[in-house]
Amino acid sequence: MSKRSLGAKRAAGVSLALAGALILSACSSGGGGGDGEGNGEEESAAPEELATISFGTAEDSQGPAEPVEGAESGGTVTVLQQTSPDHLDPAQIYVSHESNIARLIHRGLTAVHLDNDGAYTVVGDLATDSGQVSDDGRTWTYTLKDDIYFNDGSPITSADLRHTFERQFAPFIAQGPTYVQQWLAGTEGVDYRDLLPDGPYEGDHLPDSILETPDEKTVVFHFDEPQNDLPYALAIAGYAVVSEEGDTRERYDQEPLTSGPYQIDEYRPGRSMTLTRNEHWDPATDPARNAYPDRFEISFGHSQEDSTARLMADNGDDQTAMTFNNGLDAGNGPTVMEDPQYRERLVDGFQPYVAQLAINLDRVTDPTVREAIVQAVPLNGVLNAYGGSIGGEYAGGLLSPLLPGYDADYDPFGKLANPRGDAERARELLEEADAVGYELNYVHNTVPEDTEAAVAIADALEAAGFEVNRSEVPPETYYDTIGVVDSGYDIYRSSWGHDWLSAATVIPPQFDGRQIQDGASNYSHLNDEHVNSEIDRIRRIPDAAEAAAEWAELAAHIQEELIPGVPTFYYRQTVMHGSRIGGAVFNDDIGSVDMNRIYVIP
Amino acid sequence: MLRFILRRTLGAIAILLVISAVTFFLFYAIPRNPALLACGKGVCTQEQLAVVEHNLGIDKPVPQQYIEYMSGLFIGRDFPAGSCPAPCLGFSFRDNRPVLDTILDRLPTTVSLTVGGALVFLVLGLAFGMLAAARRGTLLDKTMSSTSLVLSSMQIYFLGPLALAVLVHNTQLLPQPQYVPISEDPWGWFQGLLLPWLVLSTIFTANYTRLSRATLIEQLQEDHVRTAKAKGMAPRTVFFRYAWRGSLIPIVTIFGIDIGSLFGGAMITEYTFSLHGLGRLAVESVTQSNLPMLMGVMLFAALMIVLFNIVIDACYALIDPRVRLD
Amino acid sequence: MSTQESGPFLSVRDLRVHFPTDDGVVKAVDGLSFDVWRGKTLGIVGESGSGKSVANQAVLGLHNPKHTRISGEIHLEDQELTTAPERRLEQLRGNKVAMIFQDPLTALSPYYTVGRQIGEPFRKHRGASRKEARERTIDMLARVGIPHPARRVDDYPHQFSGGMRQRAMIAMALMCDPDLLIADEPTTALDVTVQAQILDLLMELQQEFGSAIIMITHDLGVVSRVSDDVLVMYAGRAVERGTAREVLGRPRHPYTWGLLSSMPRLRGDVGRDLVPIAGTPPSLLAPPPGCPFEPRCAFSDHVADPVDCATDRPALPEERGAACHLTAEQKRTIFAERIRPRLR
Repeated sequence: MSKRSLGAKRAAGVSLALAGALILSACSSGGGGGDGEGNGEEESAAPEELATISFGTAEDSQGPAEPVEGAESGGTVTVLQQTSPDHLDPAQIYVSHESNIARLIHRGLTAVHLDNDGAYTVVGDLATDSGQVSDDGRTWTYTLKDDIYFNDGSPITSADLRHTFERQFAPFIAQGPTYVQQWLAGTEGVDYRDLLPDGPYEGDHLPDSILETPDEKTVVFHFDEPQNDLPYALAIAGYAVVSEEGDTRERYDQEPLTSGPYQIDEYRPGRSMTLTRNEHWDPATDPARNAYPDRFEISFGHSQEDSTARLMADNGDDQTAMTFNNGLDAGNGPTVMEDPQYRERLVDGFQPYVAQLAINLDRVTDPTVREAIVQAVPLNGVLNAYGGSIGGEYAGGLLSPLLPGYDADYDPFGKLANPRGDAERARELLEEADAVGYELNYVHNTVPEDTEAAVAIADALEAAGFEVNRSEVPPETYYDTIGVVDSGYDIYRSSWGHDWLSAATVIPPQFDGRQIQDGASNYSHLNDEHVNSEIDRIRRIPDAAEAAAEWAELAAHIQEELIPGVPTFYYRQTVMHGSRIGGAVFNDDIGSVDMNRIYVIP
Repeated sequence: MLRFILRRTLGAIAILLVISAVTFFLFYAIPRNPALLACGKGVCTQEQLAVVEHNLGIDKPVPQQYIEYMSGLFIGRDFPAGSCPAPCLGFSFRDNRPVLDTILDRLPTTVSLTVGGALVFLVLGLAFGMLAAARRGTLLDKTMSSTSLVLSSMQIYFLGPLALAVLVHNTQLLPQPQYVPISEDPWGWFQGLLLPWLVLSTIFTANYTRLSRATLIEQLQEDHVRTAKAKGMAPRTVFFRYAWRGSLIPIVTIFGIDIGSLFGGAMITEYTFSLHGLGRLAVESVTQSNLPMLMGVMLFAALMIVLFNIVIDACYALIDPRVRLD
Repeated sequence: MSTQESGPFLSVRDLRVHFPTDDGVVKAVDGLSFDVWRGKTLGIVGESGSGKSVANQAVLGLHNPKHTRISGEIHLEDQELTTAPERRLEQLRGNKVAMIFQDPLTALSPYYTVGRQIGEPFRKHRGASRKEARERTIDMLARVGIPHPARRVDDYPHQFSGGMRQRAMIAMALMCDPDLLIADEPTTALDVTVQAQILDLLMELQQEFGSAIIMITHDLGVVSRVSDDVLVMYAGRAVERGTAREVLGRPRHPYTWGLLSSMPRLRGDVGRDLVPIAGTPPSLLAPPPGCPFEPRCAFSDHVADPVDCATDRPALPEERGAACHLTAEQKRTIFAERIRPRLR
């Protein structure tokens, strides 16, 4: 698993891509078909429990996509975004603001579809279904649909898919996801590149024993170990198809061919992007994209203040404007949340991130002292620093509300009940451990939110009888600093987001003790034999629902018995849109508004 | 005059060389490895890092890199990720394009913002200043002087959002600021930049009103202005031909500094109105540690300032024969 | 003087030029009267701040009317100038009445050629074409002694020496054959040798054009060289008047004595001590009620009661005379016995 931690500078508005296949009976305030209903009445942060998770059938995978009620084709949607994509080459795409745009232009073997009933299904996108598994999850076979083309008119064949996966190994592909490469290479480290060091560019190719394309329509993956999450992973924008003929290597990042409903008419980095229809896209082949608007005019460089103010004013062209990732700004946020006139134009849900205060188990070895830290940390002080209720919700556990296995009532240390922290209980625990005056080295970064949260945490810890030595580092080097095994720090914030809706992308990267090394993401250095073996066992469970329940149980064990940190809050995502935007619902898979269902109200 | 400009141009080239060297060595001396950014943290092995460093050309000694950089200005360079034709100001590995492309993409916005804003504040500032100087001591003068004092102490980050909220979001008196290329839609270009121009020029107008009033009053007391009056010249001739011309020198000086730095980027204005000019590009380059871009923007800004200095010097020479003929 | 068949060309009566300021009213000229006759030169002498320049600029209406209060009468032939509209004055300036200023360095605009600046009044007042003006300018430059005038006409002021610039100023003043030339310290900023040349030039041109000249100066040497009549000014008022011969030969006012004593001589006893006038001129904001020179006057105690120099203001006779309470006898005696020996 690759390291995916939330850089502090991305803390708001930018989330990872996720992919998954599950149905949430009522997902967090989003849900299909929910447009126009509004969500102000309900408690916005009260997702209900999980029902079922499903892979789509061949029938589910047929286009065209189920129509959105009342939607009409045509019109131009304006999108106000803060950050412009650095990458357009699918293989370089990982962060969510890039993924969201990629979903309009790129297609992969699979896709996650949110239907009118609010159900999420992994469907075949370029492929006829979500994947035929055999050999206990070690072999996956995909068959390509007919009538699928790049925007230059060339047909998409299995050769393009082979090329897509082989080029992921090339040295210049450095920013995208690495799951599938690692699975193909049978490794969990960065040495996966040794499988095909030059990618397909020097005449070498993956052997048929690993990746097989027996005919123009068939792609077969062979893994050493069962990889039950493959259909989710293939839905990530990072694994979308790249044309073998049209591959310009590094330059593909600026002018890629597209396979989705739109193509890039013009892109001015940092400034604007115009998407127009890709005439070679056949809606009959696409079960996941409605593609109602004729055009997307995306402009970049809008601060949250700017986009929120414009969308609130709802003037002229801004009535058909929206944003994929710009949340509400702290100034206007409370007004927007409270004033009923905006309620119908808000889409509210969670980003995949869970913020935690990690504890270095190599240094703070006494579990009683760790529990004292947990008791002392004031969730309200931390969340207030990150924007209060606009920024997120108090976290009870390690699993995001978006994930199967999440339990809203889970609160092992009573933190939700007492978000101010319990200094008295913490002091009792410290006295019990005979550790009053225990010194903690606390590192945080210089971003104002993090600094403010650190002050609140340090004050609370000192009130409980700790001695806290705070130090700070710039945000760019923050994760490098805490990623050093022998860092010398005791406590630090670490935010983690899943890559698809499975705890398999949460627990192992953070708590597999065999992966502790400099730069790895096991920030608390938890190394527990039971946890390690449970990770191996749960990964082999083919049934997603069963696996989800097991992951949740393991997460609880880790949090309650081993105490590697304090979950503090779940990052929230609330985006606004203009009054003539229809079909806007929150998509848990995307972690923001679902751009595939959007239409312009004439 | 020709020799004058030639001499100044040669001087400017020397200055630019020095600036380029200083910026280059300064940037590449700071302990940030651009290869690490291009390579991707966490998934980058040492071998890969070496390949990336080689591709970026940063595995060589810094002086050699500088020479390659400078020669790229004249003959262009080729990188694995793309070619960078002359004049190559560097290659941005973040978005795999020549730095100059991005600068040229942002330049029309900066030029439109600067030229339009400068036109407004120069015309208004000079006009108000002249009016105040000609009506010195009257209520009009006092009103304008105190108003401009208040306005010149304002800040764009205060005025901008205020104007945006009042004039655009709440009343829709003005359209949403945006940049539309003048070649595509001149009216849209004008409308989109109207508010930024007004806000940007408010503070400058106030400053130029004060400056122009003060220098005009000073000039009106000059002996040669009295001579002009004494030989029977009409008040209008005295005012414009004699006093006003002399007052231009300090105004041109300040204007040269202002417009040079505006061309380098009006960052706060650009951020306030979500415009994409060079100022924003510079800030983005800093936050993204995009060194080649930052270097390019800095050099470009330096070029603008130096260029405007030459223009200003040429203006001096046009205005004042003593400069021209010395 | 009354022998002239017609009246004076310029007649100034009870002229007051007051500048209101935040601190009070500055009475720069406070009740000044004098006459200038055709073809004659009136020398006006006084220290800086005595009001001599201010008074003459008032003649041409050069003061900003917003900041100046002018009263009294200024008659130029049959025209009253203090009440004349600005347009009328504009037609006079540089035309019938021309002015030359002290510092030729700053009195010409650095931004235009000498030729253009000289030609301007001719074009304006005579409606001449550019070409005519240029020809006339070259003529005039030649007349005032500029070598290669056809070439120098296109030079800028900074390419001229100080003396040449003053010649150019004179050329400018004479472009329209003025009847009255007001020369405000025309030689003060120049070298001594150049001073003499400029004065000679002015005299020559006066002969030629027959203009009246007002020569404003603080230098009695200049006055003695060029003037027919002399007016001595002190603190905004005239304190003595007469012909040049009378005023310089038999001065009657203690201030004139002081001026003479403080003036260096080239002939006679070169090594004698110069005697500066003690004290400073009175404030023009609040001038003393009596004789303005009283605080600096060494002879006020000679004045017999009941007259008190400090409170009683002496009057200046209409023609020859001095504004001083000393008797004619006292003036003669003091000058003969105590002042003249010092001037040897």
